[in-house]
Amino acid sequence: MNNAIARTSALLSTCTLLLTGCGGGTSTVTSSPTNSPNSTATNTTATTGTLSSAIPIGIAVAQTSNVALLGQEQVAGAKLAEKYFNSKGGVNGTPIKLVFQDTSGDEAGAINAFQTLINKDKVIGIVGPTLSQQAFSADPVAERAKVPIIGPSNTAKNIPEIGDYVARVSAPVSVVAPNSVKAALKQNPQLKKVAVFYAQNDAFSKSETEIFQQTVKDQGLELVTVQKFQTSDTDFQSQATNAINLKPDLVIISGLAADGGNLVRQLRELGYKGLIVGGNGLNTSNLLSVCKALCNGVLIAQAYSPEHPSEINAAFRKAYIDEYKKEPPQFSAQAFAAVQVYVEALQSLDKNSKVNKLQLPELRTQLNKQILAGTYNTPLGEIGFTPIGEVVQKDFYVAQIKMEKDGSQGKFTFLK
Amino acid sequence: MNTNLFLQQLLNGLSIGSVYAIFALGYTLVYSILGIINLAHGAIFTLGAYFTYALMGGNFGFNGLLANAALPIKLPFAISLILGSILAGLVGVVMERVAFQPLRRQGSDPLLTVVSSLGVAVVIVNLIQYLVGAESYTYPANTYGNLPPAINFGSPENPIPIRSVQVVIFAVSVVIVAILTYFINQTKYGKAMQAIAEDPTTASLLGINSDRFIILTFFISSFLAGLAGTLVASSVSIAGPYFGITFGLRGLAVIVLGGLGSIPGAVLGGLVIGLVEAFVPAEYSGYKDAVAFGILFIMLLVRPQGLLGRRFIQKV
Repeated sequence: MNNAIARTSALLSTCTLLLTGCGGGTSTVTSSPTNSPNSTATNTTATTGTLSSAIPIGIAVAQTSNVALLGQEQVAGAKLAEKYFNSKGGVNGTPIKLVFQDTSGDEAGAINAFQTLINKDKVIGIVGPTLSQQAFSADPVAERAKVPIIGPSNTAKNIPEIGDYVARVSAPVSVVAPNSVKAALKQNPQLKKVAVFYAQNDAFSKSETEIFQQTVKDQGLELVTVQKFQTSDTDFQSQATNAINLKPDLVIISGLAADGGNLVRQLRELGYKGLIVGGNGLNTSNLLSVCKALCNGVLIAQAYSPEHPSEINAAFRKAYIDEYKKEPPQFSAQAFAAVQVYVEALQSLDKNSKVNKLQLPELRTQLNKQILAGTYNTPLGEIGFTPIGEVVQKDFYVAQIKMEKDGSQGKFTFLK
Repeated sequence: MNTNLFLQQLLNGLSIGSVYAIFALGYTLVYSILGIINLAHGAIFTLGAYFTYALMGGNFGFNGLLANAALPIKLPFAISLILGSILAGLVGVVMERVAFQPLRRQGSDPLLTVVSSLGVAVVIVNLIQYLVGAESYTYPANTYGNLPPAINFGSPENPIPIRSVQVVIFAVSVVIVAILTYFINQTKYGKAMQAIAEDPTTASLLGINSDRFIILTFFISSFLAGLAGTLVASSVSIAGPYFGITFGLRGLAVIVLGGLGSIPGAVLGGLVIGLVEAFVPAEYSGYKDAVAFGILFIMLLVRPQGLLGRRFIQKV
């Protein structure tokens, strides 16, 4: 066994790289929306041909990795939309067919999923990806292929600016996040000191925390500490005790459900009794199974309320409860809305020129224009788009988590 | 840094370090006997946590193929912990038969064994997600009976709180190290394992059934992984199917730092990395991983055999 140590070292390094590539790990932040995807991405060219039967719409979300918590909710919402709109006749009699591709939790996974949907499945447009982080890498692939993208949950800054074919139904964090801080101030007008925590390896969380920190300053509050973590972290004792020692009245967390939930739990167990505001990544009922009874009282701004009074939301909510035995989360509602935008844009387009007669590249281009031109009455309320693809949404909410004493059940209750 | 904060972070470091240590014990055991790195250790760690969760709650959670499937009984935490760890141990034995033994028989390069274990890890992780979904699962609040959420090691004026579950993990890791050290050094089975580690061929000539002891090694290692998985999950919840993968990476750093194949080294390595992480300043708290692996690289350069490892002597 010559050079055993050297061999072992090489093995360890190799394994570390391999395991990191397994998904569920961390990924680097893409700071610029204009960054092109990595070298594994090939330039896609639009394929020709017309639609034969059902109209294929791509759904590229995270069904595996630690982001699957959110991706699975999006799959649920998209499937309900497919069922609902096909039962109503689809696109003027032609059914839609959702084609699912798993993006996993990283950029490479998102790029591969996009390329498969564009070139192999020949979809007319894509709903996805789950994370803003992935969108910065994968959306340019679709942009070059001139395929419409609707982001169902990308809320970071500069997503619509990625290109002409990129739009989103998820309102930017800059619009949604400040509402929860204002709600906290309403509950405790005396609060002064604020501690901020954020996942530094997640583009969305970085973007969100900037908004939160700006809101803290705008409200005249004192930012006593900013603590960073990774979405893959589970132990927050050091950061939590660091913050608690500074006696904050409010803690704001930007992360995902598993890490955010754990942080809430550990803050409470270590004696923090003040208010907690969670960002959009914590906006899922999956959070409740992490911090259980200790989730009680967490405030989260919402772009969706199950109680929104509209016919389409009532239908969506009923279908979701029938299927999953719980209230629909925001991520499912947004995925439903994204599919709805495609269906209704196709319906409008079909009235002018039959979509099954158009060549695929032409259809994608026409569809993109139609998406941006329309307004849609979705479960999120009425939405439309700016010329660059930014969602225009009227209604926002703040929810507070209410848990049963034993932590077995909980729900998001909407504040007036 | 004032004294209070120093003591706080010292205890934080010891508590998270004991988590790393308890994870790394099974890892280093397989290396010490077989000289291979089992990258599926993190996946078995996750499995153990899920087994205990299912036995304790009498169900498999609320997502995936096994959603709402019920078990006929619900067991107390202590019994679930033991049974869950035994099940994890049995999975480890199956894994050894399927992924390691065929390669060993063919005298394959150790790198192939590593890749094979990585394959097993990915399959297990995805299987978990297929069966129980990607959700996090948390043990009930009364898992440890009436233990308070945190214990104050300071005064009422200057509290130094440590979560009770972390104290439990620290105590258990100390006990496990003691038992494992006794087993390896003082029992017939342990000595047979050492003999196989030293020279499998000679051990076989002396009548030691290598195959049987390799199975035993994998069972103990996976049992410890399952036990560690449950204890850590009781502290931070089962954070989805990838839960153990992150610990797997950290575990590599721990066993290299402590000394490959050294059981006390695994504990020391875990505590050192835990302490170093705890003292990372707040503004750099997101870079704990970089610190852990930075230490690993420095250790490889300065002292390749690790803190308590034996220097490799090349025979000529």
